[in-house]
Amino acid sequence: MALDGVRVLDFTRLGFGAQATLICGCLGAEVIRVESTRFPDAIRVMPPFVPEPGERGEAFGAATLANATGAPSPNRGGIFYKYNTGGKRSITVNARHPKGLQLLKELVAHSDVVTESFAAGTLDRWGLSYEVMAEIRPDIVYVSMCGFGHEGPDTDHVTMGPTAQALTGLTFMVGLPDRPPAGWSFSYLDHVGGYLGAIAVMTGLVHRSRTGAGQHIDVSQLEPATALSGALFLDALVNNRPSRRRGFPTGNRRAHPPAGPSGAYRAKGDDKWVVVSCRTQDHWEALVEAMGRPQWSLDPRFATVTGRVEHADDLDARVGTWTAGRDRYDIMELLQKSGVPAGVVQDAADRLERDPQLAARGHYTMLGNAEVEPLPLEGVPFRMSDTPPHTGGSLRRGPPCLGQDNETVLSDVLGMSSEDIDALSAEGVLS
Amino acid sequence: MSSSQPGSDAGAALAGVRVVELTDESAEYCGRLLAGLGAVVAKAEPPEGAPSRHIGPFLGDEPGPDRSLAFWADNVGKCSVVVHDDAEVLALCDHADVLVHTLRPAQARARGLDYATLHARRPSLIVCAVTPFGQDGPWADYLADDLVLMALGGSMAACGYGPGPDGVYDTPPLASHGDQAWRTASTYAAIAVLGALVWRQQSGRGQLLDVSAHECSASMTEWHLMTYLCSGAVHRRGPHPTLTAADGRQVAALNPDFLGPHVFAGMLEMLEAEGVAGALSDPAFADPVHRAANYREVWRALKRLADKHDGETLYQLGQRAGLPWGVIRSPDEVYGDRHLHARGHFVELEHPELDRSVTYPGAPFLAKGSPWVMHRRPPLLGEHSDEIRTRWSDR
Repeated sequence: MALDGVRVLDFTRLGFGAQATLICGCLGAEVIRVESTRFPDAIRVMPPFVPEPGERGEAFGAATLANATGAPSPNRGGIFYKYNTGGKRSITVNARHPKGLQLLKELVAHSDVVTESFAAGTLDRWGLSYEVMAEIRPDIVYVSMCGFGHEGPDTDHVTMGPTAQALTGLTFMVGLPDRPPAGWSFSYLDHVGGYLGAIAVMTGLVHRSRTGAGQHIDVSQLEPATALSGALFLDALVNNRPSRRRGFPTGNRRAHPPAGPSGAYRAKGDDKWVVVSCRTQDHWEALVEAMGRPQWSLDPRFATVTGRVEHADDLDARVGTWTAGRDRYDIMELLQKSGVPAGVVQDAADRLERDPQLAARGHYTMLGNAEVEPLPLEGVPFRMSDTPPHTGGSLRRGPPCLGQDNETVLSDVLGMSSEDIDALSAEGVLS
Repeated sequence: MSSSQPGSDAGAALAGVRVVELTDESAEYCGRLLAGLGAVVAKAEPPEGAPSRHIGPFLGDEPGPDRSLAFWADNVGKCSVVVHDDAEVLALCDHADVLVHTLRPAQARARGLDYATLHARRPSLIVCAVTPFGQDGPWADYLADDLVLMALGGSMAACGYGPGPDGVYDTPPLASHGDQAWRTASTYAAIAVLGALVWRQQSGRGQLLDVSAHECSASMTEWHLMTYLCSGAVHRRGPHPTLTAADGRQVAALNPDFLGPHVFAGMLEMLEAEGVAGALSDPAFADPVHRAANYREVWRALKRLADKHDGETLYQLGQRAGLPWGVIRSPDEVYGDRHLHARGHFVELEHPELDRSVTYPGAPFLAKGSPWVMHRRPPLLGEHSDEIRTRWSDR
């Protein structure tokens, strides 16, 4: 695997940081999650919970970081399973115990990379600042991931995905004209921040192998987002056309390049939709044929893309009438076979149960652990011909139970005897 | 300072790495990332220019291959090499470490740019193919733009406005502006390239990277899959908690109890200092169960606070009280963020032929030991055709 032989000492929590080390694990790195039994990762203990076989779990509506105390176990939090594939190991170490800190320092000495997603300054207070780690291991690649990063006037700000999405323009970009933004229903920037975190890790590794030098890479949740708006930023700064203006954002319509019909159209069923997006004259002509050349489609107003954009409301209504009585997957099949870009608006259930492409590509991998039956989990969504990634990482296994690898890691990595390990455990160091 | 020279940036992580980019607009963001990491990215373009050069908006709304802001946004830092045929593409690849392309499998074969051919010519070449659905599978030949991929991937199903009072959803699912499925695929492509480069440092071998934008899009909806697996419920479209400030700006205001019961004390202190705490000063509100049952009172106090301040101030007030609030900014309003300026995020680049400079969003992270490279404005069409061929002839 691509990152064979790379050891990542991983202090990340929640989604943002864990997304980064998930990627490293799927590419073959040995990722050792350093956790705590007293302060477990919130996504280990918040709903939705993975149910016992044959049961149905609690709905997601109750999910908050605060109601974690009612968790059935630290190994059933559903979101943990989204972010901790890649064959990650889990150890529990009490960093406030002097021997715990010493243990962590020994692990740093045996690691290539240290990752964390605490609030800025947390590891410093533990006595594990970058300077301390670099003394132990001069070429360590240290990647910190927190909302506002480790430098700047607002480093103490608290962010969740939706916070960062609001601040960076992401929330604004989802909405219909002249209404408040609709925003995102998930923490898109937890993913994007994590992708850049993984890029940071590999940047550090490539640089290290060329120069021999380690470094601290400071990843925030803001900077990975600023280029996601494409030309909108420049259109404002260069053309003096700010995005906050009448008629913008434009729902699913895009001015550049001009396209039409292009949008989501209601299909048969309750709140079922299909997207059709004609970017070229060929697409439009193929759509007309696929619809059986209805009279309205021959209207000269719709003959050119300029006309279709100008009369988009009327055009969308017509196309919507054609889609309304038809099954959304049938529409997609018919249009795709006719040469028209089209796709079902799929939800999570559709992706898992209906999508033949994800199934054929092996997008999901069945993985469980000692407490949880195998679930269809996700890893990295790409293939590599010579170093295939695996959702179970180099160990080919599911997300870890809390502390399940204490003995393995301490004996394999640090060469400790089982007596030593038992003694540490008895002293509360491994908690 | 030169604004357009394809020289090396010796301290950068990918210094010395050569990338040929043969993509449409769906994967240009990958090359932008690789250029920022220090690779020399030679964008192979037909004589009329890459498709994105003809996508607006344009500088001053006047079209032209060197005036597209869409092109600028995703091609800053690259070099432009005009190629007249695929033999010229192959000739570039003969001196490169990485090829990023967006050809469908059949197209690649027809043009002699398939992996078998490329690998036989240059075994060390890393080939990254970014396509809508990947190299195989029943949808491999289907057509998709970003909107189609945002639909199939699952983002749209849960993004948009909630139902009306009758429970009927009267507005459609929505996709974000900014081509987020394409951007996610491009970012994963950069990840795959980096992984392949790490492995090549040891093995000397290249490989084929098969990036399916559909799979990338399908894996970015955070807890949606797990919610379904755990509870059988699917996320649907609906509102998110926002406060409207005195200037009409909105602030994303998650329930403070989301972070834990300790957050309430800091919030109450701030609300009392602002004189808007009202009923919340009743000690009964110290109990999270009481708060949850009477959340309307909490929200009323927050609305009174919002009525007093503009959005940016409200955001800072909330954050000072430990609340994970964020003012909803447009993409360009981000330019006003003091924190990003203090981190040196925005980069002003000279466009000498226009006799002006343009400010771009810069590094996605601060790598202290291998700084982000952003000296070169987006290339003029064919600007580096001769230079790249000359410089690259050494290996």
